[in-house]
Amino acid sequence: MKTREIAKAIALAAQKFPFLGEIKEQDLLDLVKWELGDEEILDGFRNYAGHMAMARGPASILHVISGNTPHAGLQSLMRGLLLKSHNFCKIPSAGLPEIGQFRDALPAALQSRVEISRELPDHWIGRSDAVIVFGDDETVAHFRRLTTKSAQRFVAHGHKVSLGIIFDDSGLESVSHAARDVSLFDQQGCLSPHVFYVNETEGLEARQYAAALALEMEKFNQTMQRSRISAGESSGISSLRSEYEFRAANGEGVQVWKSGQGTDWTVIFESAPAFTASCLNRVIFVKPLPATIAETLARVRQHLSTIAIWPATLEHAKAISELGATRICRIGRMQDPHFTWHQDGGQNLAPLVNWIDFENSPDASK
Amino acid sequence: MPSDYIQLESQVLSLMHGQSVSEADFNACALEIYRFQRENNSPYENYCRHTGARMDLKNWREIPAVPQAVFKQFPLRAFPENLTVKTFRTSGTTGEGFGSHHFQSLRLYDEAILRGWDFFKLPLLPQIILTPSPSQSPNSSLSHMMGTLVARANNGIQHFCIDDSGSIQFDKIRALINEATEPLLLMGTALSFLHLFESGSPLPDLPKGSFAIQTGGYKGSGRDLTKASLYALFSKHLGLSPDAVINEYGMTELSSQFYTHGLGNPHEAPPWLRALVIDPEIGREVSLGDIGVLRIFDLANVGSVLAVQTRDLAIRRKTGFELIGRDPAALPRGCSRAADEMLSNTTVSP
Repeated sequence: MKTREIAKAIALAAQKFPFLGEIKEQDLLDLVKWELGDEEILDGFRNYAGHMAMARGPASILHVISGNTPHAGLQSLMRGLLLKSHNFCKIPSAGLPEIGQFRDALPAALQSRVEISRELPDHWIGRSDAVIVFGDDETVAHFRRLTTKSAQRFVAHGHKVSLGIIFDDSGLESVSHAARDVSLFDQQGCLSPHVFYVNETEGLEARQYAAALALEMEKFNQTMQRSRISAGESSGISSLRSEYEFRAANGEGVQVWKSGQGTDWTVIFESAPAFTASCLNRVIFVKPLPATIAETLARVRQHLSTIAIWPATLEHAKAISELGATRICRIGRMQDPHFTWHQDGGQNLAPLVNWIDFENSPDASK
Repeated sequence: MPSDYIQLESQVLSLMHGQSVSEADFNACALEIYRFQRENNSPYENYCRHTGARMDLKNWREIPAVPQAVFKQFPLRAFPENLTVKTFRTSGTTGEGFGSHHFQSLRLYDEAILRGWDFFKLPLLPQIILTPSPSQSPNSSLSHMMGTLVARANNGIQHFCIDDSGSIQFDKIRALINEATEPLLLMGTALSFLHLFESGSPLPDLPKGSFAIQTGGYKGSGRDLTKASLYALFSKHLGLSPDAVINEYGMTELSSQFYTHGLGNPHEAPPWLRALVIDPEIGREVSLGDIGVLRIFDLANVGSVLAVQTRDLAIRRKTGFELIGRDPAALPRGCSRAADEMLSNTTVSP
């Protein structure tokens, strides 16, 4: 199949998964063009830097997909299909139905290029020319050890955290968008915020922002309830709430807002600026933005994925571009990375392809 | 020492010396301690007011429980700081620091250890202990407990087998087992037993009638093992059947201990200690057979807080609870969750 036909089929299948955002055929072709120079360069020799070249994707890719969100796994699979690779998808043992549903939505010619398994079949690693791993350090290290063939490409997407910074919003316009960023996917993915830092100005205090966010969290919860969580996760939330309520009761610059029933959502205002990892499932911290944000975030610098900002101006983006995040977006768009984004700061197709150059310049023999 | 503390202490001591404590007696004593703690432990009083809890509660089940993590952040003393005679600390990692449990007297603490032992008719044997001694580790509640148990060792024979660098003295243990002419009791954490089993050279079987008491999990070790797999190792390496292995469940933040023996039996409490298995979503006790999180009420905790909210999961059983432990690792591990673990400084106490 030509790249254009594949792109068309992927875009059609992706329509059935609204959480992926709108992915058009041309978006996929643009990705090929941006990363490889020509949208048809996977189909044969095309002009390239004064001569001709053709890019070839790996014959087979092993995608090791984590269980937190299907989003990242599907994007990886779509890229594998674009590269015309055969795709082995190792999904979590607890299952990840969206991967199978996506395969079923593809035409037969592409379906046959996708294999899915909850366990890792013995031959998959050996037959893969590239291994892409999503997961924690232990998982990444495990698959790195298994990837022993010298020609095998290895791409790791390790653990990441995200946050938001409200530079200026006395009208509290960003609050409902912030609630969406926290609530979608119940913070299971790397793009979900753990903390919102609020630049305290005359018209806005972090505590006030937290109170407004609590109202929006409840509203969002009315329209889209959180998924079921385990007793352990639930106990983590209730324990964290009590711990912070203990501190609030003892005048420690802390305030807790929580859902009326259950552990549906929790907003914690804390005056201490240190980055605090949320226990997830719609638990969010709101803190004043310190003057020394770079110092504050030094501890998580190497694990930063996205920083969402408000307002999303170039000036603010520049101001935070050295903090370590590899993606900056508007608050409200944290969960919707553009298909051409540089995941974890790198290209997605280019590191996987092999090139064949045809130096057809008439001057070459001179 | 304030007279109300002494009065409560003697009240709890007298409950400890009976074979049972009626619901009414437990309730009356718990509520009296609750009032005492509100009056004398100001962080706790502030918390209780914050939650809206009344001073004149009617039922011990309504007493506000303090999350374990708070022991890291606040000195939960119901007495003036200068009266502190002992502080036990959790083996925390970096960051937030250690959880501290302060005491103005260890009388109730030591009595809880010994009366609990007697209540469950635990073995009176020479003891081989795989924890540091109290002098090696003065802030460890587990080491203190082991030291106190010399009073329940046959002829007071007790051998601590961890050297000053923290390593297990394998040769000493082998020699003690080889030379034993009577049954022995081995005590240690699950992790210390694992190290013993993995020492390389085989251990001699323990004399017939011997027991092992094992406590705690695999905290910070990256190890994980089901109870059945661990007990199989006791059988393989020491010749102990599961029924000869006893599990103790306790923590630095408490004064008393729960015990169970063998596989498939619930943990049970001595009469002055109770546990509720709470549904963390709604804060109420779960039905029999359901899973929840343990909230513990320890009357021996007079000088701190008697109600402690743990993060340990358990299944409610008729006579106690079946311990599951911290969040079972069955959950899918994704990048965000891993980050949470990476950044979290939370620790489980022994």
